Amino acid sequence: MIPTVAFKNRETVPTWFAYGAPLLTVIAALLVSAIPLAWLGVNPINIYYEMFISNPTGIRGVSYILVTAVPLFLAGLAVYIPLKAGLWNIGAEGQLFVGAIIGSYLALTFEWPIYVLLPAMIVSGGIVGALYGAIPGYLRAEHNVNEIISSLMLTFTATTFTGYLLRGPMQGGGGQSATERLPDFARLPTVIHPRLHIGVGLIAVVAVLVYLLINRTRLGYEITLIGSNPSAAAQAGISEYRTYITVFVLGGFLAGMAGIIEIAGVHGRLFEGFSPDYGFTAIAVALLGRNGVFRVLLAALFFAVITTGGTTIAVTQNVPTAIINVIVALTILFLLTAEFIKEHRIVINPDRESDPETPSGLEGAS
Amino acid sequence: MSALAGIAESTVRLATPLLLAAMGEIIAERSGVLNLGVEGMMLAGALAGFIGTVVTGSAWAGFAIGILAGGLLALLHAVLSISLKVDQVVSGIMLTLLGVGLTTYFGRGWVGENISGFARIEIPILSEIPIIGYALFDITALDYLTLLLVPVIWFFLFRTNVGAEITAVGEDPETADTAGIPVFKIQYACVLLGGLLAGAAGAQLSLAFTNFWATEMVAGRGWIAVALVIFAQWRIWRVLAGAYFFALIDALSFRTGGSVGEELLGQELLATVANFVINPQVMQTYPYIMTIVVLWYIMRQGNLNELGAPRSLLKSYSREQD
Repeated sequence: MIPTVAFKNRETVPTWFAYGAPLLTVIAALLVSAIPLAWLGVNPINIYYEMFISNPTGIRGVSYILVTAVPLFLAGLAVYIPLKAGLWNIGAEGQLFVGAIIGSYLALTFEWPIYVLLPAMIVSGGIVGALYGAIPGYLRAEHNVNEIISSLMLTFTATTFTGYLLRGPMQGGGGQSATERLPDFARLPTVIHPRLHIGVGLIAVVAVLVYLLINRTRLGYEITLIGSNPSAAAQAGISEYRTYITVFVLGGFLAGMAGIIEIAGVHGRLFEGFSPDYGFTAIAVALLGRNGVFRVLLAALFFAVITTGGTTIAVTQNVPTAIINVIVALTILFLLTAEFIKEHRIVINPDRESDPETPSGLEGAS
Repeated sequence: MSALAGIAESTVRLATPLLLAAMGEIIAERSGVLNLGVEGMMLAGALAGFIGTVVTGSAWAGFAIGILAGGLLALLHAVLSISLKVDQVVSGIMLTLLGVGLTTYFGRGWVGENISGFARIEIPILSEIPIIGYALFDITALDYLTLLLVPVIWFFLFRTNVGAEITAVGEDPETADTAGIPVFKIQYACVLLGGLLAGAAGAQLSLAFTNFWATEMVAGRGWIAVALVIFAQWRIWRVLAGAYFFALIDALSFRTGGSVGEELLGQELLATVANFVINPQVMQTYPYIMTIVVLWYIMRQGNLNELGAPRSLLKSYSREQD
């Protein structure tokens, strides 16, 4: 008489659960993260109060959050768009890096007027990111090479190669593995708050453009159909080849732009650790917001609150910033668990012998 | 000691963590479960092993604790990807993120401490063999054990009934299930075993290689192990060869420092190219690039499954009809 646990597909999802799940997920992640916080002898309530209440209210906090949301949102879309076509772009981090490299190179090489140089930096960052993203897209389309592995490998190729550039050809003075500081005419201007660069405006523009692309254009329709129903897409004569490359090019473009915006807007110089795993947090952003572009934006803002909050408490409470990674990872792990519960009823049979299979005809009646 | 012997010795010792982690990854992948959490599991093993050694005073006890830490994270991956049917890619990457986060967080207080760790064991006479003697017969117990483990795991996977069952599950879980093979138990066991080996790989780094803990000290070796499995096309002996090859690159990159003189090659352009190619950081990218090239090459030839990739890799198996 050993009880067995079986999972049945749900026909209907309780309303409270459908809407409450994301919130419950976040609460669960914060509850578990309270353990490592308490371990270091800080009061988790104080920490969370600072992260979610006192930090995000006020010009300074909001500025930091918006600025952090830029790379998270753009890189999040770099994962989201291929995901719409059923592909995993695990390489947003690498695309971010190559965009940052080429943009920094332009900034340190050409003394152009700011209104020429900045657009050139951002566009070329996007183009190089797109080319880099096109590699896994092409390999998948042409040779069916698994895009997860190739985009992952290209990420480490890019981050490692950045290390070479910063200790070699692009190294600035002072013996650090970093470039020279970007000149003022290569820095994104700021408004209202000295940290709030105008790259933030791009969030709104990109959000609307990508929304229109996915929901209002033929290409967006093709992407969605290939991702949701490949056989129907094939019958409709939609080219998988073209779509696979397109989604990776688009994703790479956005991630590449994110990279140089982060350098020109926030850090002012390229160094190895300029991205606190934005490209990997982007996977979390895309997952949390996978039902729509504006949800990706919300997810990016949410993780931006955690990231900036984590950076703030690192200073005020001496808590390692690594707590950010812990909260992000736990949020996604709980989210995925919640999705499973959303789709499955958990049935506990007290008797091992009883048949776990219900006749399919009775399922609908119950 | 000659420079050559030094490189051979570094290669052997740098190959140990790659071998352990990659063999674990092969076991997991052959049952149909990709584990991208290796980097995180290795970090967990490295930190837990280090703390365990400091607290208990015994490197062996620390090593065991490190192994268990890797296994604990792997258990999470198993629950998520096998029972809860979560996408294996997402689960694995989130576990790496969690592993990096937790070890950086809890490891802060341990940075800067040193332990004596595992001592070298010199085998008399054999260690006198020129070049390879020092590399193969004057290494730590963990290095010896890992080398012994290679044929054991090969035998286990390819010459035992359980090994055949693992293959069956990885190829076609539905048929395996019909044949009465406990699919879920086997997948759980394989993912766990993979995590234990990843934990061992991490613990080897902190206990027998560096003898200290440093933040993110695994430094991408977990990803290299994932790459190595593909590079070796899911075969144990090729993993052995591949681990030495990647470790050799690593060992060389420590030593070259990127300086071929112009007079040596007689031509400025050639010297520039040569210096670029042997630059330590540039060399570190080779394993990743070569893995893509190998993957591209075998996919051009035909299909992955003929070349050793388990057929059901990345697909979670569900008994229900949905």
